[in-house]
Amino acid sequence: MATKPISDPQAAPVANDKPFYGPQDVAGIDYARDLANPGEFPFTRGIHPEMYRKRTWTMRQFAGFGSAEDTNERFKYLLGQGQTGLSTAFDLPTLMGRDSDDPLSLGEVGKCGVAVSSLDDMRRLFDGIALDQVSTSMTINAPAAILLAFYIAVAEEKSVGPDKLRGTLQNDILKEFHAQNEYVFPPRPSVKLVTDTIEYGTHHMPQWNTVSISGYHIREAGASAAQELAFTLADGMSYVEHALERGLDIDEFSKRLSFFFDVHNDFFEEIAKIRAARRIWAKVMRDKYGAKLERNWWMRCHAQTAGVTLTEQQPTNNVVRVAYQALAAVLAGVQSLHTNSMDETLALPTENAVKLALRTQQIIACETNVTSVADPLGGSWFIENKTNEMEAEANEIFREIDDLGGVIGAIEHGYFRRSIADSAIKQSLAFDSGEAEVVGVNKYVEKDYERIDVLKIGADVEKQQVARLQQLKRDRDAKRHQQSLEALRKAAADDANVMPFLIDAAKADATVGEMMEVMASVFGRYDGGPEW
Amino acid sequence: MTDHPIRILLAKIGLDGHDRGVKVLARSFRDAGFDVIYTGLWQTAQSTMLAAMQEDIDVVGVSLLSAAHLTVMPEVLRHRKELGIENVPVVLGGIVPEDEHHLLYEMGCAAVFNPGASVEGIVEKFKVLAADRKRLSLSEAIAGYESKNNAALGQLITYIQRDQVDGKWTPPAGSAKVFGITGAPGVGKSSLIGKLGKAMCEKGFKVAVVAVDPSSPVHGGALLGDRLRMMWGEPGDNFFIRSLSSGKEYGGLGPHCADVIRALDGYGFDYILVESVGAGQSDVAIRDVVDKTLLVLMPESGDSVQFSKAGIMEIADMFIINKCDLPGADATEGQLKSAVGTGRPICRVSTVRSEGIEAAADLLLN
Repeated sequence: MATKPISDPQAAPVANDKPFYGPQDVAGIDYARDLANPGEFPFTRGIHPEMYRKRTWTMRQFAGFGSAEDTNERFKYLLGQGQTGLSTAFDLPTLMGRDSDDPLSLGEVGKCGVAVSSLDDMRRLFDGIALDQVSTSMTINAPAAILLAFYIAVAEEKSVGPDKLRGTLQNDILKEFHAQNEYVFPPRPSVKLVTDTIEYGTHHMPQWNTVSISGYHIREAGASAAQELAFTLADGMSYVEHALERGLDIDEFSKRLSFFFDVHNDFFEEIAKIRAARRIWAKVMRDKYGAKLERNWWMRCHAQTAGVTLTEQQPTNNVVRVAYQALAAVLAGVQSLHTNSMDETLALPTENAVKLALRTQQIIACETNVTSVADPLGGSWFIENKTNEMEAEANEIFREIDDLGGVIGAIEHGYFRRSIADSAIKQSLAFDSGEAEVVGVNKYVEKDYERIDVLKIGADVEKQQVARLQQLKRDRDAKRHQQSLEALRKAAADDANVMPFLIDAAKADATVGEMMEVMASVFGRYDGGPEW
Repeated sequence: MTDHPIRILLAKIGLDGHDRGVKVLARSFRDAGFDVIYTGLWQTAQSTMLAAMQEDIDVVGVSLLSAAHLTVMPEVLRHRKELGIENVPVVLGGIVPEDEHHLLYEMGCAAVFNPGASVEGIVEKFKVLAADRKRLSLSEAIAGYESKNNAALGQLITYIQRDQVDGKWTPPAGSAKVFGITGAPGVGKSSLIGKLGKAMCEKGFKVAVVAVDPSSPVHGGALLGDRLRMMWGEPGDNFFIRSLSSGKEYGGLGPHCADVIRALDGYGFDYILVESVGAGQSDVAIRDVVDKTLLVLMPESGDSVQFSKAGIMEIADMFIINKCDLPGADATEGQLKSAVGTGRPICRVSTVRSEGIEAAADLLLN
């Protein structure tokens, strides 16, 4: 199937069609129907009437590297600096559901995040942190249910029940098939696993966000803003439909679905994108799926500044890029925000770089006074026109996805990957031709720019982690371990909800890799589908 | 640049799935007229260099964004040496701190590219490296072939493909059975071939695969991506995959495809599996170069209209319904049975679940 490009990718902000906008550009807008006051349906202007006047967004810096102890130390540092939520980055082996001692993990243990292979690792990661006092986000997808099981088991050891836990599991496997490639099982059983966590969360974890439906990775992989918007919301609708098929009540589970968007360089387009997302989601939840509770019409979202826009050249320029992107996120009314550190294109961030990124948010919150009014850009002819345009483009993309049999059908056709790759290559051509200008890279280039220090992870982290894991495998109760895995296999084969079995296996010191292997024996492993 | 497309291999090694850059490059190289073999995600240093040897690659590009370059690249270079293909330059692209570049050059990388490098510059560098590569001469390649050297086999196939053997040599006769494997795009031919090949190798047979992918009609380059679904962990010497670009005029097969098959036969492979581009009338050409033709289908592709339309239905000797984990497999099998009648075997498999592979492999082995 040929995919036609929906809009030009916006790596290089392209010139707008017109020099200025006026009343004629918003002629069709009905205030009450399309905008309404902040806190009113369709929530284009924000989900709360007073937005940041009452409470600023959650400042949540993603962190994780090396051993569980290293990350635990960084967590405590960030909490000490005034951060209000934890966000965990796992290393690649963990993200791929492999143990630190798996041959494919060689050289990658603790490099891009923290290594967690067992309950014991999770215990050390949250050592000394009161889990009923913090909200914790875990960026993990294919093995998300397993990491959630570890977290629940660690909390139980601290006498904190699952109902007291606050936080977010990324758990968005669909975008892995579109963009980030951290899938393990085929699409259908993968979504079944997500539905298991939604079901479990709905019954046992009322304060836990079960899925963070993510556009970030889709955008970073090369999608345009409109593609990011549409693919993400289509994924959200797919999860809703699977949960409904499971027999869950829309008003019970949907309040725990949240979203995660990228905030790229094109300032006004990014704001329009998030406003359009709120309007589309509210209408879909109320009118298509029949949610009755108003809060279930809210598109709550986390945002992160765009890692892909950072440059290795003249790295301090990145601080400025991040500040503008963060300001766009705030003007768009997001619920939480991660600001990238200036050195993230080079390596994992140093403590100083992370602090500066956090300070960037704090300066916006404390000094610019943009928090004193909700949706300050609402009613701008340009912004409202752009918001409409985003919504229209998204609706067009939804139709294409429907024509392919929905999100899973479109994955199987290679639609998402092809669309994203088409956009990425256009951006690359625009950069090479100089049409897309990047300061310090193809414009205002300096040969000898100032270098900055970067963080390096030593190889001893891997050695220590592997040794500890192998010790655990020797010391655990072999019989209990074996039984728990067998029970998990049976649950998966019987199409039962696997969550309780994962929690049992976690307590029996089964590792991430072992639980994934047992599930793969039932679900199969996915080889990626059509590529080009 | 030579008259023939430069053959390059792009690989992601390890668990990192960030493939935006490598995919942009793959397409750009194709558009610049290269034959590009993209090995896909989750490769090892060994599988990458094994592919470079079998495919007779002019330049290998490794993409690493996981900060594992100081662990992975020494492994890549070690395997390059062990496989006897030190004449193949290896280039690294990814997030590499500047103060580590010299380490990589010292260990033997031909170039290191960081984010922000222009595609044009990378393409130029690959052209220079390919032009400087010292290949085996035809007589050296023939001598190596005769002494069962896989690296020489890889390079000899290139001479055959480029029509440079010119009657100076003909391969000895062998006793391989040759199967053509065809089917519509998306039915999972390549994954199936990978699984079948593995099952056959595990029974002790030597298996070669010829994977034919379409050339880009505009630029003359090709993206040869089938290989990525055929490989598994550490296939060893008994599994040899060669990707060919088809050109337009060969009815789904590449130029000299038959000669390549003869060379593999003479080399001593027991089975040769030939995967051809898609399915359609033109694919009937596959019949001329193989002993038996196997048609791969999947559930839901099986409405009777499609069956009757495809000329390939008449020439197929056996049928495999892949993706039987999906709904509709029974219906497809039923329709297929009534369309083809009895006498031609029909086999059900699921490559995703590794189900039915043994039975399908037995079908080929008997």
